[in-house]
Amino acid sequence: MILEMNNIKKSFGELEVLKDISFNVSEGEVVSIIGPSGSGKSTLLRCATFLETADSGEIKYLGETAAKTGADGKMKYVSAGELKKFKNYFGLVFQSFNLFPHFSVIKNVTDAPINVQKRSKSEVMDDAKAILSKMGLEQKADSYPCQLSGGQQQRVAIARALAMKPDVLFFDEPTSALDPELTGEVLKVIKQLAEERMTMVIVTHEMAFARAVSDRVIFMDGGVIVEQGDPEEVFGAPKMERTKQFLKHYGQ
Amino acid sequence: MTLQTILSELTRCFGTTFSLFLLTLVGSLPLGLLIALGRMSKNGLVSGITRIYISIMRGTPLMLQLWIVFFGLPKLLPDIVTGNWRYIAAVIAFVINYAAYFAEIYRSGIESIPRGQYEAADVLGYGKVQTFFKIILPQVIKIVLPSITNEVITLVKDTSLCYAIGVVEMFTRAKQIATLNGTLTSFVVAGVIYYIFNYVVDWVMLRFEKKLSYYKA
Amino acid sequence: MKKFIAMILALVMVFALCACGNNGDGNDTKKEAGVVTADDLKEGFTLKVGFDPEFPPFGYLAADGSYDGFDLALAKEVCNRLGWGFEAVPINWDAKTEELKAGNVNCLWNGFTYTGREDQFTWSDPYYENEIVMVVKADSGITSFADLAGKKVMAQADSSAVTALNRSKLKDTIGEVVELGDYQMGFMELDQGSVDAVAVDIGVAISQMNKTGNEDAYVILNEKLSPEQYAIGFLLGNEALRDAVSAELKNMADDGTMLKIAQSSDYVQQGLVVDSLCMISK
Repeated sequence: MILEMNNIKKSFGELEVLKDISFNVSEGEVVSIIGPSGSGKSTLLRCATFLETADSGEIKYLGETAAKTGADGKMKYVSAGELKKFKNYFGLVFQSFNLFPHFSVIKNVTDAPINVQKRSKSEVMDDAKAILSKMGLEQKADSYPCQLSGGQQQRVAIARALAMKPDVLFFDEPTSALDPELTGEVLKVIKQLAEERMTMVIVTHEMAFARAVSDRVIFMDGGVIVEQGDPEEVFGAPKMERTKQFLKHYGQ
Repeated sequence: MTLQTILSELTRCFGTTFSLFLLTLVGSLPLGLLIALGRMSKNGLVSGITRIYISIMRGTPLMLQLWIVFFGLPKLLPDIVTGNWRYIAAVIAFVINYAAYFAEIYRSGIESIPRGQYEAADVLGYGKVQTFFKIILPQVIKIVLPSITNEVITLVKDTSLCYAIGVVEMFTRAKQIATLNGTLTSFVVAGVIYYIFNYVVDWVMLRFEKKLSYYKA
Repeated sequence: MKKFIAMILALVMVFALCACGNNGDGNDTKKEAGVVTADDLKEGFTLKVGFDPEFPPFGYLAADGSYDGFDLALAKEVCNRLGWGFEAVPINWDAKTEELKAGNVNCLWNGFTYTGREDQFTWSDPYYENEIVMVVKADSGITSFADLAGKKVMAQADSSAVTALNRSKLKDTIGEVVELGDYQMGFMELDQGSVDAVAVDIGVAISQMNKTGNEDAYVILNEKLSPEQYAIGFLLGNEALRDAVSAELKNMADDGTMLKIAQSSDYVQQGLVVDSLCMISK
């Protein structure tokens, strides 16, 4: 199992955003998470990537525990130094790309592998060039993010995440910030990764895409997982009333 | 005094103006960053102290601060007074004053960096120090450079305040020469030198800005 | 509110730091940084003379870029005779008391008016009797103190001219006393008409008028403000140093050295009035 999240709870003040969620991802699996805004799907992703600290539960990567509720009922994370190791296991692609504007494309992709993971520069450069050409961006290596379209920027962000050789790649609504005509090029790249059996968790509003690319679809609402399963089942014959309504709303 | 002696006297004293200017920048630019970080610290004591510091430095006249450093500091630390104390006191007063202004400029710059930059760096495994110096600071510098330029040019002119504690820099010398000659020539010459120097400062800063214009945030 | 109080407290602390210099009670001599004892006054002692380089003929910047002046020349000679080192320290005249208290200078010797400040310093014997005169533009129509009613009169900030003005009856009739940093600026304002008269030491008045190359453009009124005397100011309690300097100065007055220095054309040109020397028996 790449990722195990058990009984995760998270509140922002009075608002309980995640209500006892358990969620696993196995190797090579592509999981899509759908649901209305405010359903907690982004928070789940942010807990998985340690951008938010969960209030209780357990988070494990590759069988190693990163955080677990202690005997006192409080969530206990491993030390900051150890957490760094866990950050090697995953990559995260943001809705708003979050590229480093002062770095060229190639530096965006290679800086962390070289300076954080301390891998050899020549190896990283070769890797990065291969990844960029897979993304159709080999011509843009020396450009700066501001010179690229949104779709190109998001592909650079994916390349940046891939260059870290993660075991699982998270996508937080990767096409929501893009003009409709630019979503296709990003979805195509993710689809390509799915075909290569890259383990991925994708929070998305692109229902057709989720249906086509996923091994499993999770529908979240109100901080709980309402329904999950094979995409054909969830999209074709949803069991739960809330799922049906949500999908109807999205014109499915 | 002939124009030639005026010119040579003023350029000689411009050395004092220039070294004061340079030492102030060398001291206050990094110190300002430190104060900005203190100001944004989650530690209430640290942020409180730096806030008061900035407020006092910006809220009282620089000339008063020159006096307090020059006459007040030796009362706490009598050994601080050396042959060059006049000049050193001027440098200290300028550094601590300008650091406060720079701190607020840095702070506004740092706060304008989107959260996503920190999050992206965090997910990629950059440590806090690495994130700040590699990801955040370079972007901050680009953002704050025009405001810094403003302060730097003000600093060139502010150096003339040193006469308050008897440091003979260019403007003080120009006044002395004016008394001797009974004409405004020395002031005009000093004004020209100030202008030329500020022109150079402006040009240098613009070069920096151009250098950083390779990207848009 | 708490924060506001903390801010005020911090401010008060800073000012207290500065102000504690002013609390120095004159009797509390041993604590003062600037006091020198008789033991210090051997050969090798250096007299640091505080002066305003914008106050000719007593202290000014000479054409060769060095500091010169009648008072500096006297001080130098005193030091020569006593085997002391001599250092001319140009200071911001507004900060003279602080400079003295901090020990940055040992004395204030620069056409420094004794009259009216008797209690504030330890003084040498007076050596120069100065008159404060009123300079006006020749074409202004002002010929007497009475004509100055409602007019603007410039005087150097914190100077003896201000003190003299404040002591005189003139104060009640003139419109405004404009205090500026130096007389160079005062005469410029007089030229452009933003002040109507300049209250100034007679020597400075002469030197300023000479410099314009157009002395006829100005008139010194016949009426004068009360005369005042120049002496050397030492930190209160600094009697040992005062006695040594004052005695040597008297010797110089008696043996003709003072007169010889005063007659130097440089100083006369800058407005020194030889007749004003009051230590020399006439």
